[in-house]
Amino acid sequence: MELKIENVTKTFQKTPAVTHLNYTMENGVYGLLGLNGAGKTTLMRMLCTLLKPTEGRILCNGADIFRMGADYRKLLGYLPQDFGFYPDFTVKDYLMYIASIKGVHKAVAKKRVGELLVRVGLTKAENKKMRKLSGGMKRRAGIAQAMINHPEILILDEPTSGLDPNERIRFRNLISELAQDRLVLLSTHIVSDVESIANEILLMKEGELVHAGSPEKIIADIPDKVWKLSLGREEAVSCARQYKTANARSTPSGMELRILSAEKPHPEAVEEMPGLEDVFLSYFGEKAGEDDAVL
Amino acid sequence: MYFYLILERKRGKTMLYYEWKKILVKKGTKMALLVLAAVLAATCYFAIHDVYYVDDNGEHVYGLPAISRLREMKKEWSGPLTEEVIEKVIAENRRINDTKEGRADDVQSSNIAYGWKLGFHDIYYLLMRSFCKFREADYYKPNSLMPEDARYFYGNRVRSLQEWLEEPEQEYRFDDEERAWLIGRYEAVETPFYYDYADGWKQLFAFASTVIMLMMLVLAFVCASIFSGEFQQKADAVFFSSCHGRGKAVAAKLGAAFLFVTVVYFVTVLLYSVIVLGILGADGADLPIQTNHVSWKSLYSLTNFQQYLLIVFGGYIGTLFFSLLTMLVSARTKSAVLAVIVPFFILFLPSFVGGADMFWVDKVLALMPDRLLDMKQCISYFYLYRVGGRIAGSLHILPGLYSLLSVLLFPVIYAVYRRMQVK
Repeated sequence: MELKIENVTKTFQKTPAVTHLNYTMENGVYGLLGLNGAGKTTLMRMLCTLLKPTEGRILCNGADIFRMGADYRKLLGYLPQDFGFYPDFTVKDYLMYIASIKGVHKAVAKKRVGELLVRVGLTKAENKKMRKLSGGMKRRAGIAQAMINHPEILILDEPTSGLDPNERIRFRNLISELAQDRLVLLSTHIVSDVESIANEILLMKEGELVHAGSPEKIIADIPDKVWKLSLGREEAVSCARQYKTANARSTPSGMELRILSAEKPHPEAVEEMPGLEDVFLSYFGEKAGEDDAVL
Repeated sequence: MYFYLILERKRGKTMLYYEWKKILVKKGTKMALLVLAAVLAATCYFAIHDVYYVDDNGEHVYGLPAISRLREMKKEWSGPLTEEVIEKVIAENRRINDTKEGRADDVQSSNIAYGWKLGFHDIYYLLMRSFCKFREADYYKPNSLMPEDARYFYGNRVRSLQEWLEEPEQEYRFDDEERAWLIGRYEAVETPFYYDYADGWKQLFAFASTVIMLMMLVLAFVCASIFSGEFQQKADAVFFSSCHGRGKAVAAKLGAAFLFVTVVYFVTVLLYSVIVLGILGADGADLPIQTNHVSWKSLYSLTNFQQYLLIVFGGYIGTLFFSLLTMLVSARTKSAVLAVIVPFFILFLPSFVGGADMFWVDKVLALMPDRLLDMKQCISYFYLYRVGGRIAGSLHILPGLYSLLSVLLFPVIYAVYRRMQVK
């Protein structure tokens, strides 16, 4: 399976959301990282044929996905960021309905729904109305619908947003299990969601792909160095204002800072090994993670 | 190949089943159906309660207790409505008027006299229509008739039309060919009429448009959210990214909506008909519609049963057309609110535009889809049109025109919805 994005641009009333994007994906897990508004959802919606690119094309094994139409969508599983459903349907009815519009035959769908309910841990809730599910359960129902047709391409847009840390870990493990022998594109603005499961990381900023590669490569290519230093409170606050600060922790003697800077920020600073979160901060600046209280 | 086709058909049925279920499980649908049930119950009550007779003390008796007595009284006059019968009616009317009760000024005595007339009161109304001018309705006119006037009863119908057509203001409304056509239609109605008790049909027709119009609004309300619902519930992304999301799933939505409108319409109409005719009686199905004074002036040679079929099928085409139009707006705008405004707008448009009292405006309005919801009104229209060089009334045009438009709306909605982009 090869999904090739060729010079894709999408503009909404002259405002570019994605600009001249080129990338090729094969089987494996791809983590799409970027701040809110970076163009991740627009890119994913184009990959799901929900939006047509203003320029460029997307090829699946060499064929234009918009020309392939239903033949392409047959290969697709998609969990949107704002996962909507039919509130008065039971979980089972919802999945059976999605199976039918995904072209899964009824007898096969029944079996598949049963399997997926076990896999996502919703067996006991199968006769519950969708509107009565908790946030985590809804997301699990969402992943079940995305998987119902055994998709070769699985696109998950912010699948962990709104989940508590436990649900998030559970979800990450589930995605990891499902990722075998298929192409999984997972967008998030939470680094820990993709850190351990992605084969490749794509960094998107203001509609452009600013960097891509394996997590190791991305970390190795970080433009800043990572520094750790302990300072008195006042000096620490002043230092944190001057540099990109990945972490600030209070200690009995003041504060311990984790700073990103090309230069040594303070004579007492000690260089540390960078992580993916540092990369994220390096590329996306102080706004990184602002929308997520867990980080 | 054969196996594939069977599989595809089954898949289509499954989608249709779930689309149907999607409509039914919505709270809005349940509420709408409850409203419809209440409307139906209220309309049946009024249709039945509206029937009355006046007892020997001059008291009005309404509803169920009145039905059998009224039926008995009217049955005494059933038979061909010949000159002799008309003479008898005029004579009997005069006899009652000359009684102490008929001449009395007090309400109770007048009511007693009126009660004696109830058996032939439908014929009394026909006399009023026959002996008044074309656009007049003087309720007391039959009281001035003599038995020998009976011979003019049927002739007056054609003559009053001729006189009306000769009025100066009709000059620009009808050309000679149209005048001749109208008179020909009048002459084609077979006489003498047969008279019988037909209050079941009369009441059924009187309230049919209320039931159909309110049902159309209820169905439009439900249909308004069928297509926009995917967007409102944010289920659009999964729907359109699915294999059949831009094809068979859209067709299944349309199919479910069509089925829903059809089933609800015919079940409601059937219930309404069975209740009203079951209680008031279905006698008089074969009577010409002109035996009901409301349709005395109608151009069309129809029986009550034929008129019933016209009302039911016209109403169905109208309801289907409005529902499809609502769905088109819903599919295009993604808004149920905008969509549900459309039928209200079309329904109330004639009230605003029609106030102009211009013949050509009224002629255009007579072809609006809301007229299908009240076919009985169309049966009384005198608006003529040229279709392929032939003269036709709105009754000839409306069902065909809106059937065609409805058929065309299906592929239009399908094409509009399958191309939707999800932003």
